[in-house]
Amino acid sequence: MNKIKSKDRIIAWPRMGRIDIPLKALLVSLGANVIIPPSNNNKALEIGVKNSIEGICLPYKLNLANYIMALDKGANTLMMFQAPGSCRLGNYTKMAQKTLKKLGYDFDMVIFDMYQSKMKQTLQAFWHVTHCLNPFKYYKGFSLGFNKFFAIDKAEKLLFYTRPREINKGDAENCYNKWLKIIDETNSVLRAKHLVRNIENDFAKINIDKDKFVPIVYLIGEFFVLLDPFTNQNIEKTIGEMGIEVQRQIWFGDWLEHVLKPSFLYHKLSHRERSVIYAKDYMKRPIGGECIETIGDTVYAAKHGIDGIIHISPFSCMPEIVAQNILPKVSRNENIPVMSLVLDEQTGKAGYITRIEAFIDLVKRRHRKNLADKV
Amino acid sequence: MQNTDNENTIGIPRAISYYNNYPFYYGFFNALGIKVILSDKTTSKIINDGTNTVVSETCLPVKVFTGHVINLLEKGCNKIFVPSIQSTAYKINNCSKIRGLPEIIRNVINADFTIIEPTLNKTENVEFKDFCYQISSYYNINDTKIIENAINQGWVLYNRFIKLAKSRIGYCEALKCAIENREAVIKYKPEKQISVAIMAHGYNLFDERISLNLIKKLEKMDVNVYTSLDVTRDRAYDAIKELGEVQYWANELELTGVAANYLLDNSVDGIIALSAFGCGPDSLMVEEISNQCAGRNMPLIHLTLDEHTGEAGFVTRLEAFIDMLQRKKLKNARLNKNIIKINDIKINQNELIESLV
Repeated sequence: MNKIKSKDRIIAWPRMGRIDIPLKALLVSLGANVIIPPSNNNKALEIGVKNSIEGICLPYKLNLANYIMALDKGANTLMMFQAPGSCRLGNYTKMAQKTLKKLGYDFDMVIFDMYQSKMKQTLQAFWHVTHCLNPFKYYKGFSLGFNKFFAIDKAEKLLFYTRPREINKGDAENCYNKWLKIIDETNSVLRAKHLVRNIENDFAKINIDKDKFVPIVYLIGEFFVLLDPFTNQNIEKTIGEMGIEVQRQIWFGDWLEHVLKPSFLYHKLSHRERSVIYAKDYMKRPIGGECIETIGDTVYAAKHGIDGIIHISPFSCMPEIVAQNILPKVSRNENIPVMSLVLDEQTGKAGYITRIEAFIDLVKRRHRKNLADKV
Repeated sequence: MQNTDNENTIGIPRAISYYNNYPFYYGFFNALGIKVILSDKTTSKIINDGTNTVVSETCLPVKVFTGHVINLLEKGCNKIFVPSIQSTAYKINNCSKIRGLPEIIRNVINADFTIIEPTLNKTENVEFKDFCYQISSYYNINDTKIIENAINQGWVLYNRFIKLAKSRIGYCEALKCAIENREAVIKYKPEKQISVAIMAHGYNLFDERISLNLIKKLEKMDVNVYTSLDVTRDRAYDAIKELGEVQYWANELELTGVAANYLLDNSVDGIIALSAFGCGPDSLMVEEISNQCAGRNMPLIHLTLDEHTGEAGFVTRLEAFIDMLQRKKLKNARLNKNIIKINDIKINQNELIESLV
């Protein structure tokens, strides 16, 4: 199937939160045609569940559904990254290819192997699908892509901060949606570079109650469920509307920068490195997936005065089960409340919200007590 | 109660890596002068202890492992061997729960004991020798000669075990003979009609409590049983390649490898896949093999185990599967007979034609 000419290629990739915006910008700058499958919804879940085995994890089911929906819309090239050595993620592309072939689809799958030489792999994959030779286009594409990633992350961070504090309910959400649209439409590198500053200025205009009593909760866990609002049933919004500020340590832009930038240009302490340092009392070695990040973030949160931790993971996720086993001890020793939520395709929303409400009540009471103790 | 004041003891839980590597561990530790204390065979109490200690989502083998560690602690053992086998070849990783065994044990059991936690990670160039050196450093043994000798002793015992296991005397008997260094008595086994291959992790299959004595049950039903002990590692590795699959998991040879071998040489009537509920790698491997089986017309049954598995339902499914295999074999035999008859006639016709010409 490598015979598809680059100009006939119609590219699609799995959905996860809003990564479609920057990726689209990148590929379109390189002169490619793209198709974006509908964002994850119940229908996608149904298709995914129907066509995959029972025991596989939730992200795979949704990825597969995205592929099927994109192929139905006319895509012929699928992109996906994989990182063997993490968990079942390394098997996703292999399984998806087999399943799709069995369903009778004709396509070419381009895989980024993130195990070594990440930048080279990425450039190769993009060259393979576009055959674009113009370095300026690459510069434009990557610059647009990265800036859009950072802009989305910034908008999300500000949304989390503003939502519990806003005076007119819904202002922050509207502002965020407005900016997503603007980010999507931005087409010049110069304007993309100003996005972050403009977003900051715009969010600053929203009326907020600065002295409001707002406890902070960290949202940690598995990468995909954290970043995909459908899968986590928009837990950020649910918690935000209860008057709690959500903070997340995993950001797509951050992660991408760490993964793609050559090490001599990357001077910050990466999230993984920080986690290894903080988790050292509990874990001596990374064991794949985001287990060590989960533990490291929990300890980090406890040391930085965060009021609670909500840990989310898909059902039967192997690294997060190990994390779940370790978290009770971390919670006890570091004196921080932790709640683990396991998500699967059957999660009923009501039971889920009840648990979150109970936890939030606990966090609020604890926060108030801590404030009183300080006075 | 064993003498546990002695510094030179090690407690080995009878779970997970025990089932593949115990002969090596036994030879290695004995040559180092370290006394090995084994936990008891898996009982319901051990499973319950483990289940009550870890999060309910954890898979059965890890629960059993935790139960065995608790059992060793109850025996008064204070140095427990919990290896972290991360990868067995470049980029061939183990399941996260096996990689993180020491992390789980350290954080779920509140007791004062030393975890001997060597790491084997060939992706990061931590070879098996380094693994052995890590173990001996816990006992302040730094003499290279002694350690190298111990490693050799370990291999001697391991090879003896592998050879014995090939003679089809069963896992327990082979292990006993290898450790006691005696010859095995091979009992005459009459040829049986039906033979099946079992694809399962050693720690599920050879643990009589977890597997609900699957092998003996099958033998009672007059079935030949082939397991990972009958397939060499090299053969399993090649079989996976021959089948057009790619090895991804460290312990894939015991599952895909065994199934692939018997699928290719077609010497068994059916394949039994035995896995623990919620096992991530197994869910993928069994799927892979069942796709292959469907293409090659090989019956496969997937039996899932958890701590609640009722024996009755398990046996019923097994019996139904064996019945099906028997009926299939009978039918094939009848069909084959017919084919021979037709062939005979054809030969006669040819002869007739030739004679006419």
